[in-house]
Amino acid sequence: MESLYELIGGWATQGYLPAIFEHTFMIRGMLAAILIGPLLGGIGTVVVTKKLSFFTQTIGNGALSGVAIGLLFGEPVEGTYAGLYGFCLIVALLMTFVKNRSRLSNDTVIGVVLAQVLGFGIFMLVVVTNNFNIHQVEGILFGSLITLTDNDLIALGLASMIVGVIFCLIFNKIMLVGFNPILAKARGLRPVFLEYTFVVLMTIVVVASLKLIGALLVLVLIVVPAAGAQNIVSNLRQFVWVSIVFSTISTSVGLLLSAIFPIPSGAVIVLVSSLIFYGTLVLRPLFGKSGVQQGQA
Amino acid sequence: MQTLKAEKKSISSNNDQELVNLLEIEDLSVHLGGNQILKNINMVVKKGHIHAVIGPNGAGKTTLMRSIMGGMPHQGIIRFLFRSNSKIGYVPQLLEFDHSVPITVCDFVSIMLQDKPIFLSGSGSIRKKIVETLAITESEHLIDRLIGGLSGGEFRRVLLAQALEPLPEILLLDEPASNIDEYGAMLFEQMLNRLREEHGLTILMVGHDIKMILRMADRVTSINRRVMFDGTPDELQGPGKVDELFNGSMAISTENMEG
Repeated sequence: MESLYELIGGWATQGYLPAIFEHTFMIRGMLAAILIGPLLGGIGTVVVTKKLSFFTQTIGNGALSGVAIGLLFGEPVEGTYAGLYGFCLIVALLMTFVKNRSRLSNDTVIGVVLAQVLGFGIFMLVVVTNNFNIHQVEGILFGSLITLTDNDLIALGLASMIVGVIFCLIFNKIMLVGFNPILAKARGLRPVFLEYTFVVLMTIVVVASLKLIGALLVLVLIVVPAAGAQNIVSNLRQFVWVSIVFSTISTSVGLLLSAIFPIPSGAVIVLVSSLIFYGTLVLRPLFGKSGVQQGQA
Repeated sequence: MQTLKAEKKSISSNNDQELVNLLEIEDLSVHLGGNQILKNINMVVKKGHIHAVIGPNGAGKTTLMRSIMGGMPHQGIIRFLFRSNSKIGYVPQLLEFDHSVPITVCDFVSIMLQDKPIFLSGSGSIRKKIVETLAITESEHLIDRLIGGLSGGEFRRVLLAQALEPLPEILLLDEPASNIDEYGAMLFEQMLNRLREEHGLTILMVGHDIKMILRMADRVTSINRRVMFDGTPDELQGPGKVDELFNGSMAISTENMEG
């Protein structure tokens, strides 16, 4: 890792990159932003199409408890990965299970779990913060560039490779399952297996983006680029690509700005993605879209 | 409507006894979340028949459909008397997605016909195949339209086209008459009758539109958690018969039934 930082830092010294890249934390942050951006944009297209926004938020809320549980079991403050992945995966899989097995609507299941996970998280934090510093947790909630470590970057690299490959393999299938699970079954797919696989992918992406964007803001980065993209695209292929471009611009430009102004990276990244979104709203008529969607079928 | 009726009668004039069974359901029961959704359902679908399953909302029609497709844990036996499960064509009632997401007819059919992610494949490669598929239901001109912008009848034809590629042994239609106007429904019926004649399709349709079912079906099974009636549409024609089956939850006057 060190030689990579030296190489990129060298470009900054020579004036090829802004001077801010002489700092290792900035290089780390930018690498993280470029790795996580496309994942958020890609996953976001499916989340928006399948109306899973608040499902994602629930996973994010689970991060509070995840960190607390990780700390309880003796994981270091800067990387409570077992606690985070463990707890968030359990929450996500359990929610999917309950949704499939009960007659409750998706919305109700999410509402119930969202509240419970948040309450449990706060409870756990109070229990655990007796013996550690609350500011570390703020980093989890709002994103904190400074706390990003080499290990985080390696974990992020691994996550983006795994998620990227699986996402490409199941994209068509998971879309079809979302449209109609029985139709997916009729076309020889395994809807339940695919649904769980996608839930695992979502969880990995959410947890991987915690340090850069923060648990409370990650939902925005999954939903807003895709929402912006759908304002100006005219088919599914464009939808995925434009969403990926929007989210990657948001994470990288947002990060750069957060280094210049002393605001948490997550907040600036969200602001940039929001600006893009409002831009697409303004530009919408240029892409032949009327203000009102005529929707039926 | 008169011509349709005549057409139907000519197709279904074969003696039922000579037809082989294509699908047999024995003692099918489904429990979900402590509720019994279906109880001891027994029915047989004959090869070449249009078989209708009717019942009021909440009668378990969709659960029956899901059980037949293998997407629902159940007790009892569902037996297909042909080789592979892949030969079932399914025409859903609706597609569940955020309708502001721009999904074209081409996108929708592509995700079913290819494994390669749609965002990594060129638009030209599979387009010919999609046009051929849509042409089965005379809907190839809809290829670049958004799914969310189709009329009820156009939407139904696109859904039917995908179910016929590859050509199935049995076609399952979920609420074929929902969200569709009278003219669209008539076109759709004509198309089904034509396809059935050309390909010898067996069709199982589930719905609560009595009019369409009485016109088209060779056999009707009425369910409300259990089987309430099983016979020919003619046997359903008596006054008050339909009301009785639907427990008054769906009153349909005889004038309406004549269409």
